[in-house]
Amino acid sequence: MKEFSIPACVTLALALLIAVGSQTFLGPCVHDDGSFGACHWAGRMLMGVGALLAAQSLLALFARDHGRRAGLSLAMAPTALLGILTPGTIISLCGMATMRCRALMRPAMILLCVLALMAALTGWWIERRKAR
Amino acid sequence: MKASQLPIKNLMRRPGRTAAMILLSALLALSVFGGSVVVRSLQSGLNSLEARLGADIIVLPAEAESKVSFKNLLLQGTAGAYYMDASALDRVREVEGVEIAAPQTFLASLKADCCSIKVQVIGVDPESDYVVKPWIEQSYARELGDMDLVVGCLVTADVGEIMRVYDQRCHVVARLARTGTGLDTAVYCTMDTMKALLAAAEAKGVSHKITSDGRERISAIYVKVRDGYDVDAVNSKLNGHVRKATAVRTRSMITGVSDSLAGISRTIALLVGVVWVMALAILLVAFAMMIHERRREFAVLRLLGTSRRGLSRLILSETALCSLLGGLAGIAAAAAVVFPFTTLIESRLGLPYLTPHAGAVLALAAGTLAATLVIGALAGGWAAYRLSRTDPGTTLREGA
Repeated sequence: MKEFSIPACVTLALALLIAVGSQTFLGPCVHDDGSFGACHWAGRMLMGVGALLAAQSLLALFARDHGRRAGLSLAMAPTALLGILTPGTIISLCGMATMRCRALMRPAMILLCVLALMAALTGWWIERRKAR
Repeated sequence: MKASQLPIKNLMRRPGRTAAMILLSALLALSVFGGSVVVRSLQSGLNSLEARLGADIIVLPAEAESKVSFKNLLLQGTAGAYYMDASALDRVREVEGVEIAAPQTFLASLKADCCSIKVQVIGVDPESDYVVKPWIEQSYARELGDMDLVVGCLVTADVGEIMRVYDQRCHVVARLARTGTGLDTAVYCTMDTMKALLAAAEAKGVSHKITSDGRERISAIYVKVRDGYDVDAVNSKLNGHVRKATAVRTRSMITGVSDSLAGISRTIALLVGVVWVMALAILLVAFAMMIHERRREFAVLRLLGTSRRGLSRLILSETALCSLLGGLAGIAAAAAVVFPFTTLIESRLGLPYLTPHAGAVLALAAGTLAATLVIGALAGGWAAYRLSRTDPGTTLREGA
Protein backbone atom coordinates (compact mmCIF):
# COMPACT_ATOMS: atom_id res chain seq x y z
CA MET A 1 0.00 0.00 0.00
CA LYS A 2 1.60 3.23 -1.15
CA GLU A 3 -1.25 5.55 -0.15
CA PHE A 4 -0.08 8.65 1.66
CA SER A 5 -1.82 9.54 4.93
CA ILE A 6 -2.28 13.31 5.03
CA PRO A 7 -3.45 13.40 8.70
CA ALA A 8 -0.31 11.46 9.73
CA CYS A 9 1.85 14.00 7.85
CA VAL A 10 0.04 16.86 9.60
CA THR A 11 0.50 15.18 12.99
CA LEU A 12 4.20 14.63 12.25
CA ALA A 13 4.67 18.33 11.41
CA LEU A 14 2.80 19.40 14.54
CA ALA A 15 4.73 16.90 16.70
CA LEU A 16 8.06 18.26 15.45
CA LEU A 17 6.84 21.80 16.15
CA ILE A 18 5.87 20.77 19.70
CA ALA A 19 9.20 19.00 20.32
CA VAL A 20 11.41 21.73 18.87
CA GLY A 21 9.23 24.71 19.83
CA SER A 22 9.00 23.71 23.49
CA GLN A 23 12.80 24.03 23.73
CA THR A 24 13.28 27.08 21.51
CA PHE A 25 10.97 29.84 20.29
CA LEU A 26 7.91 28.60 22.21
CA GLY A 27 9.88 27.50 25.23
CA PRO A 28 9.53 28.22 28.97
CA CYS A 29 10.79 31.24 30.94
CA VAL A 30 14.47 32.06 30.76
CA HIS A 31 15.84 33.69 33.91
CA ASP A 32 18.76 36.10 33.75
CA ASP A 33 20.61 34.35 36.58
CA GLY A 34 20.41 30.92 34.91
CA SER A 35 17.92 29.52 37.43
CA PHE A 36 14.72 27.86 36.28
CA GLY A 37 11.31 27.11 37.67
CA ALA A 38 8.69 24.39 37.27
CA CYS A 39 7.88 25.61 33.77
CA HIS A 40 11.31 24.33 32.68
CA TRP A 41 10.18 20.78 33.44
CA ALA A 42 6.88 21.36 31.68
CA GLY A 43 8.95 22.31 28.61
CA ARG A 44 11.00 19.09 28.93
CA MET A 45 7.84 17.02 29.26
CA LEU A 46 6.37 18.68 26.17
CA MET A 47 9.52 17.84 24.23
CA GLY A 48 8.93 14.20 25.21
CA VAL A 49 5.27 14.38 24.20
CA GLY A 50 6.30 15.88 20.84
CA ALA A 51 8.90 13.16 20.27
CA LEU A 52 6.40 10.42 21.13
CA LEU A 53 3.81 11.93 18.78
CA ALA A 54 6.42 12.17 16.02
CA ALA A 55 7.33 8.49 16.48
CA GLN A 56 3.67 7.44 16.37
CA SER A 57 3.09 9.58 13.25
CA LEU A 58 6.09 8.01 11.49
CA LEU A 59 4.84 4.52 12.34
CA ALA A 60 1.40 5.46 10.98
CA LEU A 61 2.97 6.87 7.82
CA PHE A 62 4.89 3.68 7.11
CA ALA A 63 2.22 1.20 8.28
CA ARG A 64 1.11 -1.09 5.46
CA ASP A 65 -2.55 -1.68 6.22
CA HIS A 66 -5.39 0.68 7.08
CA GLY A 67 -6.33 -1.11 10.29
CA ARG A 68 -2.86 -0.64 11.73
CA ARG A 69 -2.86 3.02 10.67
CA ALA A 70 -6.23 3.52 12.33
CA GLY A 71 -4.91 1.98 15.56
CA LEU A 72 -1.80 4.13 15.54
CA SER A 73 -3.86 7.26 14.83
CA LEU A 74 -6.12 6.44 17.75
CA ALA A 75 -3.06 5.94 19.98
CA MET A 76 -1.93 9.49 19.13
CA ALA A 77 -5.09 10.95 20.69
CA PRO A 78 -4.15 10.29 24.37
CA THR A 79 -0.60 11.46 23.67
CA ALA A 80 -1.95 14.77 22.33
CA LEU A 81 -4.31 14.94 25.33
CA LEU A 82 -1.28 14.51 27.62
CA GLY A 83 0.33 17.45 25.82
CA ILE A 84 -2.79 19.58 26.37
CA LEU A 85 -2.80 18.82 30.11
CA THR A 86 0.95 19.13 30.71
CA PRO A 87 1.47 22.93 30.94
CA GLY A 88 -0.39 24.26 33.96
CA THR A 89 -2.43 21.15 34.92
CA ILE A 90 0.03 18.27 35.29
CA ILE A 91 3.09 20.48 35.78
CA SER A 92 2.62 23.93 37.31
CA LEU A 93 3.93 27.07 35.68
CA CYS A 94 5.22 30.43 36.97
CA GLY A 95 3.01 32.60 39.13
CA MET A 96 2.34 35.55 36.83
CA ALA A 97 0.18 35.33 33.73
CA THR A 98 2.47 37.78 31.94
CA MET A 99 5.46 35.44 32.16
CA ARG A 100 6.63 33.68 29.01
CA CYS A 101 5.55 30.19 30.08
CA ARG A 102 1.97 31.32 30.67
CA ALA A 103 1.66 33.98 27.98
CA LEU A 104 3.35 32.07 25.14
CA MET A 105 4.33 28.46 25.85
CA ARG A 106 1.05 27.29 27.39
CA PRO A 107 -1.41 28.65 24.78
CA ALA A 108 0.90 27.73 21.88
CA MET A 109 1.42 24.17 23.10
CA ILE A 110 -2.28 23.66 23.88
CA LEU A 111 -3.18 24.97 20.42
CA LEU A 112 -0.65 22.68 18.70
CA CYS A 113 -1.77 19.67 20.76
CA VAL A 114 -5.46 20.36 20.02
CA LEU A 115 -4.63 20.50 16.31
CA ALA A 116 -2.64 17.26 16.65
CA LEU A 117 -5.60 15.66 18.46
CA MET A 118 -7.97 16.73 15.68
CA ALA A 119 -5.58 15.44 12.99
CA ALA A 120 -5.16 12.13 14.85
CA LEU A 121 -8.93 11.62 15.19
CA THR A 122 -9.46 12.56 11.53
CA GLY A 123 -6.77 10.04 10.56
CA TRP A 124 -8.42 7.36 12.69
CA TRP A 125 -11.83 8.07 11.10
CA ILE A 126 -10.47 7.98 7.53
CA GLU A 127 -8.35 4.86 8.01
CA ARG A 128 -11.12 3.01 9.85
CA ARG A 129 -13.49 3.64 6.93
CA LYS A 130 -10.86 2.45 4.47
CA ALA A 131 -10.16 -0.65 6.59
CA ARG A 132 -13.83 -1.65 6.32
CA MET B 1 -30.52 13.93 -8.54
CA LYS B 2 -32.41 16.96 -7.26
CA ALA B 3 -31.46 20.40 -8.61
CA SER B 4 -30.82 21.56 -5.03
CA GLN B 5 -28.02 19.00 -4.71
CA LEU B 6 -26.22 20.26 -7.82
CA PRO B 7 -24.13 23.00 -6.11
CA ILE B 8 -22.83 20.54 -3.50
CA LYS B 9 -22.05 17.91 -6.13
CA ASN B 10 -20.25 20.54 -8.25
CA LEU B 11 -18.13 21.63 -5.29
CA MET B 12 -17.26 18.06 -4.29
CA ARG B 13 -16.35 17.13 -7.87
CA ARG B 14 -13.46 19.64 -7.88
CA PRO B 15 -12.04 19.56 -4.35
CA GLY B 16 -8.90 21.55 -5.25
CA ARG B 17 -10.84 24.45 -6.72
CA THR B 18 -13.35 24.37 -3.86
CA ALA B 19 -10.55 24.34 -1.26
CA ALA B 20 -8.93 27.38 -2.93
CA MET B 21 -12.25 29.31 -2.82
CA ILE B 22 -12.79 28.37 0.83
CA LEU B 23 -9.21 29.38 1.66
CA LEU B 24 -9.67 32.82 0.10
CA SER B 25 -12.88 33.41 2.05
CA ALA B 26 -11.17 32.15 5.22
CA LEU B 27 -8.33 34.63 4.71
CA LEU B 28 -10.87 37.43 4.42
CA ALA B 29 -12.72 36.39 7.56
CA LEU B 30 -9.51 35.81 9.51
CA SER B 31 -8.15 39.29 8.79
CA VAL B 32 -11.44 41.05 9.47
CA PHE B 33 -12.39 39.18 12.63
CA GLY B 34 -8.84 39.12 14.06
CA GLY B 35 -8.28 42.81 13.27
CA SER B 36 -11.69 43.84 14.64
CA VAL B 37 -11.18 41.94 17.91
CA VAL B 38 -7.73 43.51 18.44
CA VAL B 39 -9.01 47.04 17.72
CA ARG B 40 -12.06 46.56 19.97
CA SER B 41 -9.87 45.13 22.72
CA LEU B 42 -7.60 48.19 22.58
CA GLN B 43 -10.62 50.49 22.79
CA SER B 44 -12.05 48.48 25.71
CA GLY B 45 -8.65 48.65 27.41
CA LEU B 46 -8.54 52.43 27.13
CA ASN B 47 -12.11 52.75 28.44
CA SER B 48 -11.24 50.44 31.32
CA LEU B 49 -8.13 52.49 32.08
CA GLU B 50 -10.14 55.72 32.20
CA ALA B 51 -12.80 54.09 34.37
CA ARG B 52 -10.24 52.59 36.75
CA LEU B 53 -8.14 55.70 37.10
CA GLY B 54 -10.87 57.94 38.44
CA ALA B 55 -8.50 60.66 39.59
CA ASP B 56 -8.05 64.01 37.86
CA ILE B 57 -4.49 64.57 39.07
CA ILE B 58 -1.74 62.34 40.45
CA VAL B 59 0.88 63.85 42.73
CA LEU B 60 4.16 61.95 42.69
CA PRO B 61 7.57 62.49 44.26
CA ALA B 62 9.83 64.59 42.01
CA GLU B 63 12.22 61.61 41.74
CA ALA B 64 9.46 59.44 40.20
CA GLU B 65 9.75 61.18 36.85
CA SER B 66 13.33 59.98 36.48
CA LYS B 67 12.50 56.45 37.66
CA VAL B 68 9.44 55.66 35.58
CA SER B 69 7.70 57.23 32.62
CA PHE B 70 4.20 58.46 33.39
CA LYS B 71 2.79 56.29 30.60
CA ASN B 72 4.35 53.22 32.23
CA LEU B 73 2.95 54.37 35.53
CA LEU B 74 -0.48 53.71 34.10
CA LEU B 75 0.24 50.74 31.89
CA GLN B 76 2.82 48.71 33.75
CA GLY B 77 1.44 48.65 37.24
CA THR B 78 3.32 51.59 38.75
CA ALA B 79 6.63 49.74 38.53
CA GLY B 80 9.24 51.09 40.89
CA ALA B 81 9.55 52.30 44.42
CA TYR B 82 9.68 56.02 45.15
CA TYR B 83 8.54 57.81 48.24
CA MET B 84 7.73 61.24 49.60
CA ASP B 85 6.95 62.49 53.06
CA ALA B 86 3.36 61.81 54.16
CA SER B 87 3.06 65.50 55.09
CA ALA B 88 2.63 66.10 51.35
CA LEU B 89 -0.88 64.70 51.77
CA ASP B 90 -1.82 67.51 54.17
CA ARG B 91 -0.27 70.07 51.81
CA VAL B 92 -2.35 68.69 48.93
CA ARG B 93 -5.55 68.82 50.99
CA GLU B 94 -4.87 72.50 51.81
CA VAL B 95 -5.09 73.46 48.13
CA GLU B 96 -8.40 75.03 47.16
CA GLY B 97 -10.38 72.90 44.71
CA VAL B 98 -9.13 69.54 45.99
CA GLU B 99 -12.16 67.43 46.89
CA ILE B 100 -10.50 64.10 47.77
CA ALA B 101 -6.83 63.21 48.11
CA ALA B 102 -6.09 59.50 48.50
CA PRO B 103 -2.56 58.30 49.23
CA GLN B 104 -0.98 55.09 47.93
CA THR B 105 2.31 53.44 48.81
CA PHE B 106 4.18 51.21 46.38
CA LEU B 107 6.55 48.36 47.13
CA ALA B 108 8.15 45.95 44.71
CA SER B 109 8.46 42.48 46.20
CA LEU B 110 11.55 40.34 45.71
CA LYS B 111 11.51 37.38 43.38
CA ALA B 112 12.28 34.47 45.66
CA ASP B 113 12.90 30.86 44.82
CA CYS B 114 11.48 28.64 42.05
CA CYS B 115 7.95 29.75 41.22
CA SER B 116 7.51 32.94 43.20
CA ILE B 117 7.13 36.17 41.35
CA LYS B 118 8.12 39.79 41.62
CA VAL B 119 4.94 41.76 42.14
CA GLN B 120 4.11 45.37 42.73
CA VAL B 121 2.41 45.76 46.11
CA ILE B 122 0.14 48.79 46.43
CA GLY B 123 -0.99 49.98 49.84
CA VAL B 124 -4.23 51.96 49.92
CA ASP B 125 -5.84 53.96 52.69
CA PRO B 126 -9.33 52.41 53.16
CA GLU B 127 -10.74 55.64 54.64
CA SER B 128 -9.91 58.03 51.83
CA ASP B 129 -9.36 55.74 48.85
CA TYR B 130 -11.78 56.18 45.96
CA VAL B 131 -9.58 54.79 43.17
CA VAL B 132 -9.01 51.11 44.04
CA LYS B 133 -11.72 50.55 46.67
CA PRO B 134 -14.76 50.53 44.32
CA TRP B 135 -12.90 48.10 42.12
CA ILE B 136 -12.00 45.85 45.08
CA GLU B 137 -15.62 45.99 46.28
CA GLN B 138 -16.74 44.32 43.05
CA SER B 139 -14.82 41.20 44.13
CA TYR B 140 -14.63 41.51 47.92
CA ALA B 141 -17.42 43.16 49.89
CA ARG B 142 -15.73 43.11 53.32
CA GLU B 143 -13.05 45.40 54.74
CA LEU B 144 -9.46 44.30 54.11
CA GLY B 145 -7.84 43.03 57.30
CA ASP B 146 -4.24 42.93 58.41
CA MET B 147 -2.03 40.91 56.04
CA ASP B 148 -4.93 40.47 53.60
CA LEU B 149 -4.11 40.84 49.91
CA VAL B 150 -6.32 41.37 46.91
CA VAL B 151 -4.56 40.24 43.74
CA GLY B 152 -4.85 41.47 40.16
CA CYS B 153 -6.28 38.95 37.72
CA LEU B 154 -2.91 38.16 36.12
CA VAL B 155 -1.35 37.13 39.43
CA THR B 156 -1.97 33.39 39.54
CA ALA B 157 -2.55 33.04 43.28
CA ASP B 158 -5.85 31.47 44.28
CA VAL B 159 -8.22 32.95 46.85
CA GLY B 160 -7.40 31.41 50.24
CA GLU B 161 -3.78 30.82 49.29
CA ILE B 162 -0.88 32.15 51.37
CA MET B 163 1.41 34.47 49.45
CA ARG B 164 4.82 35.27 50.92
CA VAL B 165 6.07 38.82 50.48
CA TYR B 166 9.44 39.50 52.14
CA ASP B 167 8.82 36.32 54.19
CA GLN B 168 5.55 37.72 55.53
CA ARG B 169 2.57 35.39 55.21
CA CYS B 170 -0.23 37.24 53.45
CA HIS B 171 -3.72 35.85 52.80
CA VAL B 172 -5.12 36.20 49.32
CA VAL B 173 -8.77 37.15 49.95
CA ALA B 174 -9.95 38.13 46.47
CA ARG B 175 -9.02 38.37 42.83
CA LEU B 176 -9.90 41.53 40.91
CA ALA B 177 -11.66 41.75 37.56
CA ARG B 178 -9.45 42.23 34.53
CA THR B 179 -8.69 45.81 33.46
CA GLY B 180 -6.32 45.15 30.57
CA THR B 181 -3.66 47.38 32.18
CA GLY B 182 -0.62 46.94 34.39
CA LEU B 183 -2.94 47.13 37.39
CA ASP B 184 -3.74 43.46 36.69
CA THR B 185 -0.25 42.41 37.74
CA ALA B 186 -0.27 44.23 41.11
CA VAL B 187 -1.50 43.18 44.56
CA TYR B 188 -3.35 45.49 46.94
CA CYS B 189 -3.37 45.79 50.72
CA THR B 190 -4.12 48.29 53.46
CA MET B 191 -1.59 50.84 54.68
CA ASP B 192 -1.18 48.84 57.91
CA THR B 193 -0.19 45.74 55.96
CA MET B 194 2.09 47.88 53.82
CA LYS B 195 3.73 49.20 56.99
CA ALA B 196 4.52 45.60 58.06
CA LEU B 197 5.81 44.72 54.59
CA LEU B 198 8.03 47.78 54.44
CA ALA B 199 9.46 46.89 57.84
CA ALA B 200 10.04 43.30 56.65
CA ALA B 201 11.77 44.61 53.53
CA GLU B 202 14.05 46.79 55.66
CA ALA B 203 14.77 43.81 57.93
CA LYS B 204 15.83 41.78 54.89
CA GLY B 205 18.24 44.53 53.95
CA VAL B 206 16.19 45.93 51.08
CA SER B 207 16.48 49.64 51.67
CA HIS B 208 13.78 51.88 50.32
CA LYS B 209 15.31 54.91 52.07
CA ILE B 210 12.34 55.20 54.35
CA THR B 211 11.78 55.16 58.03
CA SER B 212 10.53 52.02 59.73
CA ASP B 213 7.08 53.55 60.10
CA GLY B 214 5.35 52.98 56.78
CA ARG B 215 2.72 55.59 57.50
CA GLU B 216 5.26 58.35 57.23
CA ARG B 217 5.99 57.77 53.56
CA ILE B 218 3.73 57.56 50.58
CA SER B 219 4.32 57.05 46.86
CA ALA B 220 1.45 58.84 45.17
CA ILE B 221 -1.59 60.96 45.95
CA TYR B 222 -4.67 60.55 43.74
CA VAL B 223 -6.55 63.85 43.64
CA LYS B 224 -10.17 64.42 42.68
CA VAL B 225 -10.95 68.04 41.83
CA ARG B 226 -14.11 69.62 43.22
CA ASP B 227 -16.85 70.35 40.66
CA GLY B 228 -16.64 73.84 39.20
CA TYR B 229 -12.86 74.12 39.59
CA ASP B 230 -10.51 74.15 36.63
CA VAL B 231 -8.32 71.02 36.77
CA ASP B 232 -5.37 72.79 35.11
CA ALA B 233 -5.52 75.61 37.66
CA VAL B 234 -5.62 73.16 40.58
CA ASN B 235 -2.74 71.23 38.99
CA SER B 236 -0.64 74.41 38.81
CA LYS B 237 -1.48 75.29 42.42
CA LEU B 238 -0.44 71.79 43.54
CA ASN B 239 2.86 72.10 41.70
CA GLY B 240 3.53 75.38 43.46
CA HIS B 241 2.28 74.33 46.91
CA VAL B 242 3.71 70.84 47.42
CA ARG B 243 7.50 70.75 47.61
CA LYS B 244 9.61 67.95 46.07
CA ALA B 245 6.56 66.61 44.24
CA THR B 246 5.14 66.77 40.73
CA ALA B 247 1.43 66.99 39.98
CA VAL B 248 0.42 65.42 36.67
CA ARG B 249 -2.98 65.56 34.98
CA THR B 250 -4.19 62.04 34.26
CA ARG B 251 -5.84 63.33 31.09
CA SER B 252 -2.41 64.11 29.62
CA MET B 253 -1.24 60.56 30.47
CA ILE B 254 -4.30 59.02 28.85
CA THR B 255 -3.94 61.24 25.79
CA GLY B 256 -0.48 59.73 25.17
CA VAL B 257 -1.91 56.24 25.43
CA SER B 258 -4.89 57.21 23.29
CA ASP B 259 -2.57 58.56 20.54
CA SER B 260 -0.59 55.30 20.45
CA LEU B 261 -3.85 53.36 20.34
CA ALA B 262 -5.19 55.45 17.46
CA GLY B 263 -1.98 54.83 15.51
CA ILE B 264 -2.16 51.08 15.99
CA SER B 265 -5.89 51.00 15.19
CA ARG B 266 -5.25 52.90 11.95
CA THR B 267 -2.46 50.49 10.96
CA ILE B 268 -4.66 47.45 11.65
CA ALA B 269 -7.59 48.99 9.75
CA LEU B 270 -5.28 49.71 6.80
CA LEU B 271 -3.94 46.15 6.78
CA VAL B 272 -7.45 44.70 6.98
CA GLY B 273 -8.52 47.01 4.12
CA VAL B 274 -5.58 45.92 1.95
CA VAL B 275 -6.33 42.22 2.63
CA TRP B 276 -10.00 42.81 1.75
CA VAL B 277 -9.24 44.57 -1.53
CA MET B 278 -6.71 41.89 -2.50
CA ALA B 279 -9.05 39.04 -1.53
CA LEU B 280 -11.96 40.65 -3.40
CA ALA B 281 -9.81 41.09 -6.53
CA ILE B 282 -8.55 37.49 -6.29
CA LEU B 283 -12.09 36.18 -5.74
CA LEU B 284 -13.38 38.11 -8.76
CA VAL B 285 -10.56 36.76 -10.96
CA ALA B 286 -10.99 33.24 -9.55
CA PHE B 287 -14.74 33.25 -10.24
CA ALA B 288 -14.22 34.69 -13.72
CA MET B 289 -11.73 31.90 -14.46
CA MET B 290 -14.06 29.28 -12.98
CA ILE B 291 -16.97 30.50 -15.10
CA HIS B 292 -14.78 30.59 -18.20
CA GLU B 293 -13.57 27.04 -17.53
CA ARG B 294 -17.14 25.78 -16.99
CA ARG B 295 -18.90 27.80 -19.72
CA ARG B 296 -19.70 24.69 -21.82
CA GLU B 297 -21.16 22.99 -18.76
CA PHE B 298 -23.38 26.03 -18.12
CA ALA B 299 -24.31 26.24 -21.81
CA VAL B 300 -25.48 22.60 -21.73
CA LEU B 301 -27.54 23.34 -18.61
CA ARG B 302 -29.12 26.32 -20.37
CA LEU B 303 -29.96 24.22 -23.46
CA LEU B 304 -31.45 21.54 -21.20
CA GLY B 305 -33.93 24.09 -19.96
CA THR B 306 -32.30 25.78 -16.98
CA SER B 307 -33.37 29.40 -16.87
CA ARG B 308 -30.93 32.29 -16.51
CA ARG B 309 -32.30 32.81 -13.00
CA GLY B 310 -31.75 29.12 -12.23
CA LEU B 311 -28.17 29.30 -13.46
CA SER B 312 -27.50 32.43 -11.39
CA ARG B 313 -28.98 30.67 -8.37
CA LEU B 314 -26.65 27.70 -8.96
CA ILE B 315 -23.55 29.92 -9.14
CA LEU B 316 -24.63 32.01 -6.13
CA SER B 317 -25.34 28.83 -4.12
CA GLU B 318 -21.83 27.56 -4.83
CA THR B 319 -20.22 30.87 -3.85
CA ALA B 320 -22.43 31.15 -0.75
CA LEU B 321 -21.41 27.67 0.41
CA CYS B 322 -17.71 28.43 -0.14
CA SER B 323 -18.04 31.78 1.63
CA LEU B 324 -19.92 30.26 4.56
CA LEU B 325 -17.39 27.47 5.10
CA GLY B 326 -14.46 29.83 4.57
CA GLY B 327 -15.97 32.45 6.86
CA LEU B 328 -16.50 29.96 9.67
CA ALA B 329 -12.98 28.51 9.23
CA GLY B 330 -11.44 32.01 9.20
CA ILE B 331 -13.30 33.10 12.33
CA ALA B 332 -12.29 29.89 14.12
CA ALA B 333 -8.64 30.36 13.09
CA ALA B 334 -8.61 34.01 14.22
CA ALA B 335 -10.24 33.06 17.54
CA ALA B 336 -7.62 30.33 18.07
CA VAL B 337 -4.85 32.90 17.60
CA VAL B 338 -6.26 36.03 19.25
CA PHE B 339 -7.97 34.76 22.43
CA PRO B 340 -5.38 32.34 23.92
CA PHE B 341 -2.59 34.88 23.33
CA THR B 342 -4.36 37.90 24.87
CA THR B 343 -1.68 38.43 27.54
CA LEU B 344 1.12 38.15 25.00
CA ILE B 345 -0.55 40.66 22.65
CA GLU B 346 -1.12 43.04 25.57
CA SER B 347 2.51 42.92 26.69
CA ARG B 348 3.89 43.20 23.14
CA LEU B 349 1.69 46.18 22.25
CA GLY B 350 2.41 47.89 25.56
CA LEU B 351 -1.11 49.32 25.55
CA PRO B 352 -4.20 48.60 27.64
CA TYR B 353 -5.89 45.58 26.10
CA LEU B 354 -9.16 44.14 27.33
CA THR B 355 -11.02 41.48 25.35
CA PRO B 356 -14.64 42.55 24.77
CA HIS B 357 -17.41 40.54 26.42
CA ALA B 358 -18.86 37.42 24.77
CA GLY B 359 -21.87 39.26 23.29
CA ALA B 360 -19.64 41.78 21.50
CA VAL B 361 -17.35 39.01 20.22
CA LEU B 362 -20.35 37.07 18.87
CA ALA B 363 -21.64 40.24 17.18
CA LEU B 364 -18.22 40.78 15.56
CA ALA B 365 -18.19 37.15 14.39
CA ALA B 366 -21.70 37.49 12.92
CA GLY B 367 -20.73 40.75 11.18
CA THR B 368 -17.59 39.15 9.74
CA LEU B 369 -19.56 36.16 8.46
CA ALA B 370 -22.15 38.46 6.86
CA ALA B 371 -19.40 40.55 5.22
CA THR B 372 -17.69 37.42 3.86
CA LEU B 373 -21.01 36.20 2.43
CA VAL B 374 -21.64 39.60 0.81
CA ILE B 375 -18.18 39.63 -0.79
CA GLY B 376 -18.71 36.06 -2.06
CA ALA B 377 -22.15 36.98 -3.40
CA LEU B 378 -20.73 40.07 -5.14
CA ALA B 379 -18.03 38.02 -6.86
CA GLY B 380 -20.48 35.22 -7.76
CA GLY B 381 -23.16 37.70 -8.87
CA TRP B 382 -20.75 39.48 -11.18
CA ALA B 383 -19.69 36.14 -12.71
CA ALA B 384 -23.35 35.10 -13.13
CA TYR B 385 -24.19 38.45 -14.77
CA ARG B 386 -21.39 38.02 -17.30
CA LEU B 387 -22.52 34.46 -18.02
CA SER B 388 -26.13 35.53 -18.59
CA ARG B 389 -25.00 37.84 -21.41
CA THR B 390 -23.47 35.05 -23.50
CA ASP B 391 -25.48 32.88 -25.87
CA PRO B 392 -25.24 29.15 -24.96
CA GLY B 393 -25.53 28.05 -28.60
CA THR B 394 -22.57 30.22 -29.63
CA THR B 395 -20.54 28.89 -26.69
CA LEU B 396 -21.11 25.29 -27.74
CA ARG B 397 -20.45 26.02 -31.44
CA GLU B 398 -17.12 27.65 -30.56
CA GLY B 399 -16.16 24.28 -29.11
CA ALA B 400 -13.36 25.55 -26.93
